[in-house]
Order: sequence, then C-alpha cells, then structure tokens
Amino acid sequence: MKQKRCNWKMVLYELRNINGNFMTHFFGIVFPSMMTLIFSKTIGIQVPEAARDKVLVSIVLSMSLVIPMSIMFIGYGALYSQEVEHEVPLRMRLFGFRERNLLAAKIIAHMILMTAAFAIFAVFQMITMDIPKPAASSVICLLVSLYLIGIILLVIAHSLADIFRKFGITFGITMSVYFLLMVLTGMMGISTEQLPKALQKVAATLPMTYVSNDFADFWTGGSYNFMPFIQSLLFFGAIAGILLMYAQYRNRRT
Amino acid sequence: MLLTIKQLQVKYGDQTALQINSPISFGKGERIGVIGSNGAGKTTLVKAILGLTNYDGRIITDLQPEQMAAHMQSNAYVTTMPIRRIMEMVLDTRVKENKELQELIDFFEFGNCLSKRFPALSGGQKQKFTIIMIMMQKAELTFYDEVTSGLDFETRQKLMEKMVEWYRGKEDSLVIVSHYYEELEQLADKILLLDRGRVVAFGRTDELFRTYCGDAIFILDNNRVNCSLTKEFRTLRSPNHLLAVSCRDREEEKRLLTILVNHRVNFKRSNSDIEIMSINARERFYAQGENR
Repeated sequence: MKQKRCNWKMVLYELRNINGNFMTHFFGIVFPSMMTLIFSKTIGIQVPEAARDKVLVSIVLSMSLVIPMSIMFIGYGALYSQEVEHEVPLRMRLFGFRERNLLAAKIIAHMILMTAAFAIFAVFQMITMDIPKPAASSVICLLVSLYLIGIILLVIAHSLADIFRKFGITFGITMSVYFLLMVLTGMMGISTEQLPKALQKVAATLPMTYVSNDFADFWTGGSYNFMPFIQSLLFFGAIAGILLMYAQYRNRRT
Repeated sequence: MLLTIKQLQVKYGDQTALQINSPISFGKGERIGVIGSNGAGKTTLVKAILGLTNYDGRIITDLQPEQMAAHMQSNAYVTTMPIRRIMEMVLDTRVKENKELQELIDFFEFGNCLSKRFPALSGGQKQKFTIIMIMMQKAELTFYDEVTSGLDFETRQKLMEKMVEWYRGKEDSLVIVSHYYEELEQLADKILLLDRGRVVAFGRTDELFRTYCGDAIFILDNNRVNCSLTKEFRTLRSPNHLLAVSCRDREEEKRLLTILVNHRVNFKRSNSDIEIMSINARERFYAQGENR
C-alpha cells in the first residue's frame, strides 16, 4: 500500500467527521449569530444614535471572532482529543497516513466549515442588522485575519490534545482558555480599557483584541497601523509553534 | 529475507522488555507464530518492527513502513460516520466499484455492517472490519496481534476458520501473535517462542516439535492407571491434568498404541502440538540457563 497523501477524499472524510460533532455546529454557527442578535438588541439600543453604527460593527466583528474560536479551537479540540484518547491517529498511521497529511486534511476541512459559517453569519447579519456596508479591503483584511487566527487556534488545540491525550482534560482547558480569551479581548461586553493594567498588557499580545476593538475604525475604509496586530499574530503563532513542538517531543518514541 | 533482527533490545525504563541475541530472520511467504505468556515481549517485538517503540540493535529490512500492515490488539476508529465511509477513505476506493473489496466483505459476511458506526459493531465485527482493511492493503508483511482476544469461543473459532480459509494457498508473509496454541497450529509454519523478553525457541514448527517432543506424542488423562501403563515410555512436561507421552519413532509409537487400545484408554495423538512443545522448550531453556 502506498503512503497516503492529503487528497480530497481525506478532506471529505474530515468534513464528515466534523459533521458528526454537534458542538462545532452549535458554537461555530448558531452561537455567534444568536449572540450578535442579543447584543445588538440589548447594547445597541442603549447607545446614542450617532455612535450606534460603530457599536453595531464592533459587535459584529467581535462575534465573527467566535467562529474561528469555536470551530478551530473548541470544536477541533473536542473532536481530535477524543481521537487521540482512543488512539485513532495511531491506527491511521498504521494504515500509511502520515500525521502531517492528516493534519493538513483536518485544517482544510475546518477551513471549509469556517467559510460556510462566515457565509451564514454574513447572510444572517444582512437580514437582521442594519450596519454600514464595509469596504472590500476591510472585508479581505478581516477574513485573512480570521483564517490566520483560526489556523493558529487549531494548532494550539491539536497540541493540547496531543499533550494531555484525554478528551476531558483537553476540553476543560480549551473551554477555560476560550472564555478567558473572550473576556480579555472584549468579546464579553467588557472593553479592554476597562480591564486592570496587567490584563490589558496580556490582551495586547492577542490578535483577537485588535479585531474586536480596532477593526471597526476602518470598516468603511481608511488607514490603520497593522504593525501591533501583526506582532500579536506572530506572538500567538509562536506560542502555537512551541506547543506543537513540545507535544511532538512529549510523544516521541520512548 | 524480508527482515532480520540482530541484537535487539527494548527497554521500558530500567526494565528490559525484549532481548534478542541470536539473529532471527523472517522469510518471504513464511507464516510466523509468535507465542508466549503475558509480558513475554510479543507486542513489544511487533511495535519495534513497526517503528512504534525505540530499541537498541538492528532490524534489517528493505520494507518501508507502508509495506507492512498491522492488526493491533486495539484498533479504534472515529465514531462520527458509518464505517463504510472510513473504509473507503482508508482504502482510497469505493465499495460498490471495487469487486475485490466486495468479495472480501462477502467472504467475511460483513455487508450488513457497513452502514453501522464503529461502536455499534460487536467484538467479532470490529475485528473483521480491521482484518478486511488489512487484507486489502496487500502488504509485504502483515502482523496480526491477538486478533481473537476478547472474543467468545464460537466467534473466535469462526473468525479463525475464515482467516485460515482466506490465506490457504496464498503466499502472504504473516506474523501472528497469539495466546491460543490451536490458532497457531492452523496458521503458522514457524514458531517464535518468547518468555520474559527472551527467545526460547525459533524455527519450523515440525522441527521444533521433533527437538522438544520427539516423533509423536500421545496425550492422556493424568491418572494412576495411565501413569502405570506408560511408565516405560518417556513422559514430557504437560499441564497437570494431562499426561504427555513421547515416542521417538514408529516402533515405539506402535507399541504404545497397542497398550492404549488394549486397555481401552482415551488418547489424542499429535505430531504438531504447540502447547506441549512450548512447555518443554521453556523448561529446557531455563534448565540450560541454570547449567550455564
């Protein structure tokens, strides 16, 4: 039997695999739209008319971050940690699949689902909310940022599952980190400026903070200094890389 | 030769799980039965060959990992889709378009399981699922590690019958790890006997039998009458409730046979009993060790 390379059948298999995971659908597709609706109806109506558009855009941007965080982090972590706990990756390896090819198929499948979730989210916002039309460049910036954040989060979830090798522990950690990230990056209704100074510094190292707080400033066009955001992406990516290397070191043959 | 093992040592912490000093070779088309009690090093050997554990020493082979197929003791799959989907992805084919796969599915009477999810399969069906995919791999060397462990007697018998029937007349190279002597008698033509991580014996089943048991053995109930009737013959080590009498040649066999028939004693004759051979090989191995 030849060594298996990443192909569309593997991606389709991973899509079916995701499809069997209720949590990914609920938290990645239903939850962001539902929360956007709730926040826009509660917070949105409390702000003055002049600031309402910007607040609604901020809510949409913050909730769009829930999609990669739920699909690529919580959903993937839950799914993959169950596989690891039952040694499914070992079985696949014995069938001639290399880990990197399996991971590539998983990333592609999750990105396809994330794209579908973005489309559903966008259609839902267009129907239910009256926000200003974004500039094309802003949409591209947002999507690229969300995909990059999503891939980094998936690598972190993958590494955590490989380190702890138990569904319960991995799910507990990813859920805790998920809510911590939401609080730190201003997605839970508390803005970053309201946090203590030390936590503000931590929030500044997270790319989600910039998407949630700053991207509304150039929603309809204009300029923006991307350097702090890029630095936070690199920092976040480095954490994911270190975790992945540690996971591989921990699981080396003994 | 498909594979040669030289001076292999596998350690888990301070404990030596496997130590092979004399070279061992697996030839093309050979069916090697690996036998030994718990902790003998059987699965460790398979893992070392498959590259799943670290080892000192050399495993010389031209085979790439993907040219080896392995049915491990535990084989798990995702539970989120029907097993047909898993099978089609792993084998990179479609069931309805692959006649060979259909034939194998029919042979194992597995067709009605394809729409089920893995947890819904019975123990025997789970084993069949992996076996079908392993067989479809058509690997140069295939490992079956405790294929029937955890199965009830009837399911185990049926599964082994199917496997024996499938491999009859074929030239596949197999390494079969098992606790069950009768399974190896049906499938293996060579035996590797391990005990506490050491190689007790390795060779053709018939040669090992002649070395440790003689030309043939008669197995009787271990009671006073039978002991008395066979006292002039050489007895071998055997489970306590049995009496294993060895015959060096045909003449001796005829003589014993006459006695047993005249006294209407129930017996079983064998010239390939792996269980008795293993017990005696183990005893001789440790006796020689003590002498050294």
